[in-house]
Amino acid sequence: MPDVENLLDIRRLISDIQHKKLVRSYDIALRTEELLEELISKGQWKSAKELMNLVKTRIQLVRENLPQEATAPNIMRHTLKVIREEYQSASKKKDEGQSLHELVTATPSNVLDYSDSLIDLRSSIVDHLTEYKVELESSSENIAAQALEHIHTNEIILTVGKSKTVEKFLKRAAKDRTFNVIVVEGAPLYDGHTMAASLAKSNIQTTVIADSAVFAMMSRVNKVIIGTHTVLANGGLRAASGIHAVALAAKHYSVPVMVLSHMYKFSPTYVGSPNHEAFNVCVSPAGVIPYATGPILKQIEVYNPVYDYVPPELVTLFISHQGGNSPSYVYRLLSELYHQDDYDL
Amino acid sequence: MLRKESQMVHKENIVQAIVLTDTFDDEFLPISEHLPHALLPVFNRPLIDYTLEFLSLGGIEETFLFSSAHVEAVKRYVNKCIENGEGWTLTMKVNVMVSESCRSFGDCLRDLDAKGVLRGEFVLLEPGTVSNVDLLPLLKKHNITTKSDKGCAMTLILQESAIRGIGRCPHEELLVATDSHSKLLFYKKLGSSKDNKLEFPLEIFLDNASVSLHHNLNDTHMAICSSSVLPLFSDNFDFQTKDDFVRGLLMNEEILGSTVYCHILKGNQFAGSITNWRMYQALSYELRNNWVHPLIPSTKRNRKLKNDVFIGEGTKISETAELNDAVLGDDVALGKNVRIEDSFVFSNTKIGDNVVITHSIIGEHCTIQSGSEITSGSILENGCVLEKDTFVKNSLLVAKIPDNYENGDKLADKAYRLRIFPDEDDNISINELDRKLSRLDIGDFNYESDEIEDAFSDSGDEQLSYTQTPPPDDTKLFYTEVIDSLTRGLEDKLPCDNLILEINSSRYAYNVILKEVNFNIVKAVLILSLRQPETTQYFGNLSRVLTYFAPVLKNYIRNESAMKDCLEAIQDVAVSSESLHEKCVTFILQYFYHKDYISEDAILNWFSTLTTSSKLYKQVKPFTDWLKEAEEESGEEESEQ
Repeated sequence: MPDVENLLDIRRLISDIQHKKLVRSYDIALRTEELLEELISKGQWKSAKELMNLVKTRIQLVRENLPQEATAPNIMRHTLKVIREEYQSASKKKDEGQSLHELVTATPSNVLDYSDSLIDLRSSIVDHLTEYKVELESSSENIAAQALEHIHTNEIILTVGKSKTVEKFLKRAAKDRTFNVIVVEGAPLYDGHTMAASLAKSNIQTTVIADSAVFAMMSRVNKVIIGTHTVLANGGLRAASGIHAVALAAKHYSVPVMVLSHMYKFSPTYVGSPNHEAFNVCVSPAGVIPYATGPILKQIEVYNPVYDYVPPELVTLFISHQGGNSPSYVYRLLSELYHQDDYDL
Repeated sequence: MLRKESQMVHKENIVQAIVLTDTFDDEFLPISEHLPHALLPVFNRPLIDYTLEFLSLGGIEETFLFSSAHVEAVKRYVNKCIENGEGWTLTMKVNVMVSESCRSFGDCLRDLDAKGVLRGEFVLLEPGTVSNVDLLPLLKKHNITTKSDKGCAMTLILQESAIRGIGRCPHEELLVATDSHSKLLFYKKLGSSKDNKLEFPLEIFLDNASVSLHHNLNDTHMAICSSSVLPLFSDNFDFQTKDDFVRGLLMNEEILGSTVYCHILKGNQFAGSITNWRMYQALSYELRNNWVHPLIPSTKRNRKLKNDVFIGEGTKISETAELNDAVLGDDVALGKNVRIEDSFVFSNTKIGDNVVITHSIIGEHCTIQSGSEITSGSILENGCVLEKDTFVKNSLLVAKIPDNYENGDKLADKAYRLRIFPDEDDNISINELDRKLSRLDIGDFNYESDEIEDAFSDSGDEQLSYTQTPPPDDTKLFYTEVIDSLTRGLEDKLPCDNLILEINSSRYAYNVILKEVNFNIVKAVLILSLRQPETTQYFGNLSRVLTYFAPVLKNYIRNESAMKDCLEAIQDVAVSSESLHEKCVTFILQYFYHKDYISEDAILNWFSTLTTSSKLYKQVKPFTDWLKEAEEESGEEESEQ
């Protein structure tokens, strides 16, 4: 297979994710961006079309090997959009726009095929990507900068599990305001414990509660602030398991649910059903029922899902580095981020 | 220059693993005849694939596959994987090593020692290991252990499981004792021995402040080894398996100067090893249920099927097929009304209409014609062809005529029964066959667990009755020991000094208090002495025996309290033995009194404790009366003087 050598970069990335060398989505995003920069500046391509094919095969490879991974494909998808834009501005041709009139009146000759080889395309895409990298790097800083708009003195904030972005957000707010944080421990991973320890170190009044206590505590909570794994095209979330219950409790008590999300977490994919094979991933049942339980294990089936699907109506606000957006506006963000043709790859 | 040096340092610290690919036994007959163990399909993916992926995810950088049978097939497969750029090829180097002369696990390690490819610590995997353990922390832990204990040769990795759990093979039941630093003190595979009893050496409890016994562990067939392991194998030619090695090291800890530690896996870390068909099924179950996550079966599940059914690519299932807990390979052709339960069907097999397959394994490229039934742990070799309406139960079928062919073994042109161990004596071969088949009896978990349950309830009863009968008393043991010594002494005319020595040593061995010693010795002497034929010379014989034991009696009856014990012994004997000669008691008392073993006062004191209505009282009365008279007389005499 000749592809093996050519796809080494992306295979490394996949292998690193599998080996848990890259765990945080931010690290994955940066690695993917660097990979693409390398591919664009040094890769074997002559026209924008060839380059787009190179990127597309990489997206497919990631989707095959890591169906749950959203960050890397999203970054690459965005790069496709960058390539298209740069091609258009370099070739002075305009793509058929989004308007209905243009779609209807478009003739086959007008359709861009991105096959012309343009001289300064390479450098202009690289420039654009460098800008994008800066945007990525400052993203969590920009999100944290909005903390004071959302967290007020003496409020009680509830969060679930561990999220670097949320942690940064709360710590930034704690510089100027005093407030209480309730951390839900997030069984069976219990990563809420490390989160709480880290918050307490920054002198934030922190309380850890069990997942079962969420409903009881919710009546006293002013805001729920959580991170997410992915934001889906309909504004729903793929978030750590347990968050759906938290969001439902918040809905019951009309507590606003705010989701902190980087732009690369917005995915143009929909969810068929929460049990959808590619949507969820079930890990070892050991977290729920120990292997030493005995012969009963043969008679039962244990599922230990990692993610919850949270429907968009339970989410109040998405906070990205551009500011706050409501779930119904996600479609618009997506069309800014990715080209329509690249939604489904 | 600096860069180069750092690379060198890095190279020395490469994390290495050895995977043996041969089991060196015939557990997997007849499938293993043509298919190497490493390439056994588990959910349509060769077993070695899981092992390699696990090693790569576990942080191993260089793996040696050590192979001595079916070498070409293994090599071809590994090369194919490298060409296709499987996930693990990026981070791990895989070398296939060949040594056709090896006949056991030990041979392989000796060969490896000679080749000298390993530097420092390494992970050792026996064939068929599948796991999701992160090996780097374990290696680190082993490293720390070696720093505190220079002799630490091996850290065994054991999996916590439950008694009667799914992945617990009865043949591999393990009993382990460790100290507080998880150093191994005792190691025994219970499955391999038939004994119901188990003996722990006393030293492990005497030498260690705390000992933990584990009976809930599975052997994962993984171990972390120091560099000293290979030379140890070379030095000790009798080490054939890893168990030999562990046992040998435990037994000769002082001589070999090496120790073994163990690490117990808990939580979401899981490891298991396919060592026989039963474990093959258990691990298939565990893989399917995500216990080994992130190692999961390769093919996507068919959402129309039940969760416990797994089919490969190109396999089509009709509505009428009834599948339960079945794994079908690629391109399996199923007829109408097929029923498959608890079975594994490998790739490219054709199954006709109305076929029933339960608890069986069907190899590749088999053809099973309509109406056949295959049940109870049958295993079909690749390429078997079964004619219409064949019934196969609990047998191994091969496609070609086996060497030890006998009449009646032929089922069809391409299906023969395979006999195992035909040359041995009838008895043995039957037993062996039973044992084999019980192992091959895959999947019948209910049956198996019933059996085990029986075994358990048996032992439960035993325990119950055990608590009802009083535990064997040390004093009682001491008494029988004394009786033995004295009988022997009497028969062989041994000097009484030797007997005294013997009795003293048993006294210390059983830790008996002085009072009991005196009591039991006198009792023993009396019982022995009274065992005489009832002839006219009865009392003559009696006194002769008593005279013979005089030094013994003299040695023990030294003071007032000893006399009291002695009298109690006489009482005990008199009361317990009904048939005792009437005059015996008086005779003995008289004898003891005359020989000055017991004083007058002691007798009288003792007599006063007897209940007046008892038989003994009546027997002794004349004697004590006489004593009293004598006393009065002597008293009178004294007063006269």
